[in-house]
Amino acid sequence: MGSHGSAVAVPPGRLAVAPQPRPPERLRRLTTPLRRTPGRFTAILAGIVVLGLLTGVVAFVGVRQRADLVRGVTARSGEVAVAAQSLYRALSDADATAASAFLSNGLEPPAMRDRYQRDLADAASALTVVSAAVSSDGRGAAAVARITARLPVYSGLVETARTYNRQGLPLGVAYLQEASGLMRDELLPAAQELYAAASTELDEARDRAAGFPWVAVLLAVLTLAALVLTQIHLTRRTNRLLNVGLLVGTGATLLLVTWLTGSALVAAGNLGDSRDEGSAQVNLLAEARIAGLQARADEALTLVARGNGAAFEENYGVMMERLAGADGEGGLLARARAAAPDDTTRQAVEAAIARSKEWSAAHRNVRALDDSGEYAKAVAATVGTGEQTTAAIFNQLDEALALAITHNGDRFEREAVSAGRALTGVDIGIVGLGLVLLVGVAVGMQRRIAEYR
Amino acid sequence: MRHRHISGRLLAGVLVAVATVGLAGCGTGEQALPANQVAADPPRPVGMQDPAVVPTGPAASSGSCNPRASLRPSGALPRPRQMPSGTAMAKIVQRGRLIVGVDQNNYQFGFRDPQTGQLTGFDVDIAREIARGLFGDPGRIQFMAISSADRIKMVKEGTVDLVVRTMTMNCERWQEVNFSTEYFTAGQRVLVARGSGVKTIDDLRGKKVCAAAGSTSIRNIAQKGTVPVSVVNWTDCLVLLQQNQVVAVSTDDSILVGLAAQDPNTEVVGPKFSDEPYGVAISRESPELVRFVNGVLAKIRSDGTWTRLYSRWLTSLGPAPAPPVARYRD
Repeated sequence: MGSHGSAVAVPPGRLAVAPQPRPPERLRRLTTPLRRTPGRFTAILAGIVVLGLLTGVVAFVGVRQRADLVRGVTARSGEVAVAAQSLYRALSDADATAASAFLSNGLEPPAMRDRYQRDLADAASALTVVSAAVSSDGRGAAAVARITARLPVYSGLVETARTYNRQGLPLGVAYLQEASGLMRDELLPAAQELYAAASTELDEARDRAAGFPWVAVLLAVLTLAALVLTQIHLTRRTNRLLNVGLLVGTGATLLLVTWLTGSALVAAGNLGDSRDEGSAQVNLLAEARIAGLQARADEALTLVARGNGAAFEENYGVMMERLAGADGEGGLLARARAAAPDDTTRQAVEAAIARSKEWSAAHRNVRALDDSGEYAKAVAATVGTGEQTTAAIFNQLDEALALAITHNGDRFEREAVSAGRALTGVDIGIVGLGLVLLVGVAVGMQRRIAEYR
Repeated sequence: MRHRHISGRLLAGVLVAVATVGLAGCGTGEQALPANQVAADPPRPVGMQDPAVVPTGPAASSGSCNPRASLRPSGALPRPRQMPSGTAMAKIVQRGRLIVGVDQNNYQFGFRDPQTGQLTGFDVDIAREIARGLFGDPGRIQFMAISSADRIKMVKEGTVDLVVRTMTMNCERWQEVNFSTEYFTAGQRVLVARGSGVKTIDDLRGKKVCAAAGSTSIRNIAQKGTVPVSVVNWTDCLVLLQQNQVVAVSTDDSILVGLAAQDPNTEVVGPKFSDEPYGVAISRESPELVRFVNGVLAKIRSDGTWTRLYSRWLTSLGPAPAPPVARYRD
């Protein structure tokens, strides 16, 4: 480091502007080189390089993180939300199917037995997916533990009920009701909690992924400003209008800001669509489907209870009102129809609304039969094989909703994949542009500095 | 010196903080397991209360009347389908079927035969005998499965002609409906697992005993010093007994016999410690129907039908006793 007394090529006016008391020795030794032009240029170069590097690194890391989050939305969180929903559905379906199968005097139709067993298998595999994904300390983990511990107890009670039912003993009814109580009081609330937790997690992941890269864009804008000011400064100081290196650097930075902003906005737009048109619809439809399943279980349990089923019949009314409103034109189905993003969904939901009205009418018929002592006819109208049985109508309702759920699940995935595509290559682009920026600035400044040697 | 002090303190502070965070981390790691441990409680029937809410208020007063005394049959029974005109019986015959409220969930008294889907049991057979008296055909009958709470309402509103549903006659109910003469004498007893060593209700002091919510049985077992557990339906009590959640079930032997018949590992023990005369409930509007039903009951007592029905359904209570003696108030 040179001593402060050595000859300096500083314009005289410059020193005169600062008639301050002499700064301490140490500081002066540090700042003196900056007051010389080549030293100043070197400092500017270093500043821009640091700023550029920082911009590049922050932007690169940010893009990589967001790309990972988007992949997480499509792959992990999306899968967990689907699994949690399918767990909830499978458990509700098992409850409804076990009750329906019970009505067939011990000799349950093989198709119903198959359906019940498939429900249990679906629930178990969905539980595996969900339990691998929930963090061990969250509320999701407690719900998983409860379901894992109680599901075998539930199936044990159903099998006991089935055995007694085959012997024609009313004790089977008591076991089935205990099983159904366990399902409704413990398993379904836990599954619902899990589903809510998975949906929240999906929304949070989506919000993080859709966040705007403020820091990176701010840094890039600062770099841009620094480059422009430097060029103005250079033009004044050296009387040369253009510096190719710095111009190239400026262009690269401009491109970087534009790309970063554009890709972030497109990805956020796609993610927003995936929520509004995909998973929000799926949530609504899944809720409707589960309300339908619970109403179906209540309908069967009312008959199973043989004259003691008033509580189940009341619950049937509550569930149907949740599904389709008091007049058949409201409830979850009407909300799903109003929010339907396309014709396929709207048609499926309208079919479901029509079926729910038919179901209500057929159910009134079942109740009239049972109340007038025609128990066997009431059972036949509930679990029989005809087209007008509540079983047939309910199955059509369930299938319409299942179709709509699958369709909207696909839609969600499509939008999330588009969001991922908007971010593809942005990270590599940032590295490239960052390098162009650094090289351009370095070359441009080096030329000027060299002119003073 | 001061600088070294400060930096020394800072360093110490940082170390303490690191150690605390580290320990806290270990702590949560160890506590995470118990948080997710699930209690291995047995499942509970819906609506089970342990301990049960024991009904307060005075027990139904039975001293003010003789609940067994009914109306005397008027002369010989009319021939089937030839009922005196203007009577309730004539209306029933004109309608073509007798409408009876029964239980379809009480094994041995009123339940559905799993093979045929038909209602059957001791109560149901008594009702069929009344239909035989009216029509000469026990099949001329429409059953309605009713809950125990609906019995009086159904009779008063005329929804059913009769209720034959393990219904105890007492003075309180006599204010609302008429009853036939007694067709079965029930009494509260105890159902336990075979080989449990329990002989009477007194052996169950401080033990959990199950009964249906709101029943007089639960009041009785609470008075005997047991810990009452209540459920919604009687079969839930057998579930609790099988799952070792209670030591015994205690109620009318008419219900216990149905529970015992479903699980050969249980038995009804001890003497009756309450008196529950069962009667057929009939509207107060039609005393002539009461007299007719009493005529039918008198006939089946004397011609051996009653003993045959008892032996068909109720042998787990022991061999058939003599039929309950009809008492009349005239």
